Formats: sequence, structure tokens, C-alpha cells
Amino acid sequence: MTNLTSRILEFDDASQVIEDYFGRGWTDGLPIVPPTQDLVREFLDAAHRSPSDVIGAEPTKGRVITAEKVAVNAVMAGCRPEYFPVVATAVEAMCEPEFNLHAITASTMGAAVLMVVGGPVVSEIGINSGVSVFGPGHRANATIGRAIRLVIINATGSSSGEIDKATLGHPGKYTWCMAEDTNVSPWEPLHVERGLSENESAVTIFAALSGIQVANHESESPRDILNSFRDGMFAIGARHGELNIVLCPEHIGHFRAAGWTKNQVKQTLFELAQRTEAEWRTEGQVLPESDDSSQMISTASKPENINVLVAGGAAGAFSSIIPLWTAGNGTRSVTKRIQF
Amino acid sequence: MTTATRLAVLDPTVEPIPAHAVVAQRPDTLDGKVIGLLANGKRNSVELLEAISDVLADRYEFKAIMARNKGNASRPCPPPLAEEMAEECDVIITSSGD
Repeated sequence: MTNLTSRILEFDDASQVIEDYFGRGWTDGLPIVPPTQDLVREFLDAAHRSPSDVIGAEPTKGRVITAEKVAVNAVMAGCRPEYFPVVATAVEAMCEPEFNLHAITASTMGAAVLMVVGGPVVSEIGINSGVSVFGPGHRANATIGRAIRLVIINATGSSSGEIDKATLGHPGKYTWCMAEDTNVSPWEPLHVERGLSENESAVTIFAALSGIQVANHESESPRDILNSFRDGMFAIGARHGELNIVLCPEHIGHFRAAGWTKNQVKQTLFELAQRTEAEWRTEGQVLPESDDSSQMISTASKPENINVLVAGGAAGAFSSIIPLWTAGNGTRSVTKRIQF
Repeated sequence: MTTATRLAVLDPTVEPIPAHAVVAQRPDTLDGKVIGLLANGKRNSVELLEAISDVLADRYEFKAIMARNKGNASRPCPPPLAEEMAEECDVIITSSGD
């Protein structure tokens, strides 16, 4: 029997728990599943974790996050036990200093944590990569992403109006977890691009702002399709250290037919999203002092700063641009292999 | 006491570490003190500190002023800079501009 150390609260029934946890500010505004000791133990066992295992320490405030606390929040979020290794790995990734967890969960810019899961675990636990990939109706996506938000609220103390000072925020802050559609994609998935094997499962986390949907039902050439990203790329600003593009299956079909590589997509987007320093300044972009206002500056500092993901429903020519917090310069995405 | 009819659930929160939140001792006066001014790198953070130090300079005779800028508002102060200021200054004022 695993020894749990969290404070125990007692209630007459589940509805009392739900109301009490709302009142204490321990939820995201939605009802939670009461975190009983039996459920928490079941989650820990599913990931072969002891309650006292340190998953990570929040780098700025120094709060130590144990497996037990992550499991309590994962139960509350509505996860199934077999999702817990993904949640625990994502929390581990969030605590890496380069992710900059305190800043991204405190800032007025209002970032969410976007999780991209890859490898065999995707089909094993049913993470959606297809229709309505950012929408509701898929338990693994919905509850894994929600568990991360509850950990941020309860384990790091970043709740709305307290540490979290987001001006607008966005709905991805409730939950945002996806997988890539490896059947549709002609390219290796993100975690393989980052050095892991296709047989390994991994989670990559991004401090992600709201996406911009890009529609193009007319073009068939890859370059023409990418041209329709141009205004959206300008809207997110200059010199990004990292940003994400999600290409939908209809668009991907044209890239596959033309034999394009992922690097060609990155290079072409980099070139298309350039304009002069003077034009950026006209749009209110803050840039360092320069004596050459005619120099060309792109949305991305380098082509390789653009992450290209493949996901979405089979019908509809709608792709997306997802910018990251502080133009991807004050945060780095983190990829971690999932341990089972 | 737990009874069979009661539903026992767990607290999901992690408490802050109190040892990391000790309030520094306040000096009785700023006369003869070394004043540190640490801007956070946002626009106007330096101007705000200059305005504050001007007001204080009318009231006190500082020994010296050490003005620094941590340069990046979204990152913690680099430890070498924090250590330097902690060693040299009696009082440090920080600012966040925008």
C-alpha cells in the first residue's frame, strides 16, 4: 500500500467536494472528479511512481512537485490511470528552466501549455490527431491537457488574478493536447525530428498563444498554399525564436503530391514572411535600433525556428499558425521521452 | 475521524517554501547607504527608477548609487548580478516598466 501524505478532507458526497473545491480556488471553473486515495494510488501504480517521487521543482518559486500531487490533479481533471505517464512527463518537461514556467503562467501575454504527444502511446490511449483536433469530445486530449492546467493552478499557485495576470488568455488554457497524424503526414513526427525513435513515446510542450486559422481552398501548389500564411505570420510579429505551423490533411495532400520536404516548408515560410524593418515599425513592432530600415526581416529569425506539425480532420483546407510566448524567445519548447 | 459514509479526498495544492520568502531588514534611514537600482529591462523601467531615486535624493544623502538593468523582464535576475548587488548595496529598489 503506497503511503500518501496529502492533507485529507472529508465530505458527505461528491457534490460537496465539487462545491468546496470551487470555493477554495482549486479548479479551472469546471467541476472536478473527487480525488480519492484509491484513485490516486491507481494512477501512481499505472506509471510505476511512488507518491514521494519528485517530478520537478518549479524553478522560480522552488515549489517541489511530487508524483502524488500530479496524480491528485490528474484524477481531478478526469484522466484515466493509463494517461498518467503522459501527464507526469509533461510536468517534468514544464519544470525545465528553459521552458520558463513561472513567467509563462504569470505574464499578461496569457500563454497556454500546448502538448504534442508522439509515438505508440498516441494510439494506445487514444489521443486525437484528426477531426476537430483542438476541439472537444476526446477524453485523452481533454483531460491530459486539463490536468496540466490544474497542476499549474494548484501545485505552482498560478491561478487567475493571483499570479496569472493574463490580459485575455485563450481557451487553450483550459486544455490543449494533441497528437500528429502520422498516417497522413509524409514526414517524420516532431519527437523523431528531435532525436527520439518512432518506437518511443514522447511529449513536447510549448508555451502557446492562440492560433490563427489559415484558409485556402483554391491553391494546389505548396508555395501558393504557404503564401496564404503570409498575413498571419506578419500579425504575430518579427524575429520569432520558435513558432508552430499545423498543416491540415487537405493541404498536406498537395505537399505530398509535389514531393516537398519539411525543410522546404520552413524555408519557404521564412522567405514569404519577410518585409522591411520600416514596414515592421509601421505596424508597431518594437525592434532594436538599426541604421538600415530597408533591411528585410522575417517573422522567424531562422527557418529552423518554425516547427511544422500535421493534424486535423480529413475535410477542410484549414491550417493554423500558433505563435509562442514572447515570440518564442523567452521560452523554449521541451521534448521528453515518456517513461512507463 | 474517517467513517465509512464519509468521502475522503486529497488536497491538490503544494505550499510555498517559507524559507524562500524572508523579508529583508529595513534600515532606519537611507543616509550614508548604498542604493541599488535594478531595472527589469522593460521600457520605462529605468526612467521610473531615476524618478524614484531623484525623489529620495532630495531627502537623503546616499553614500553611492549602483544602477543596473537585468535586461530581460521575462527571466530571473542572473545570479552573478544578484550576488554583486546583494554584496554592494544596503537597499535595492526594483522596477517593472511598460
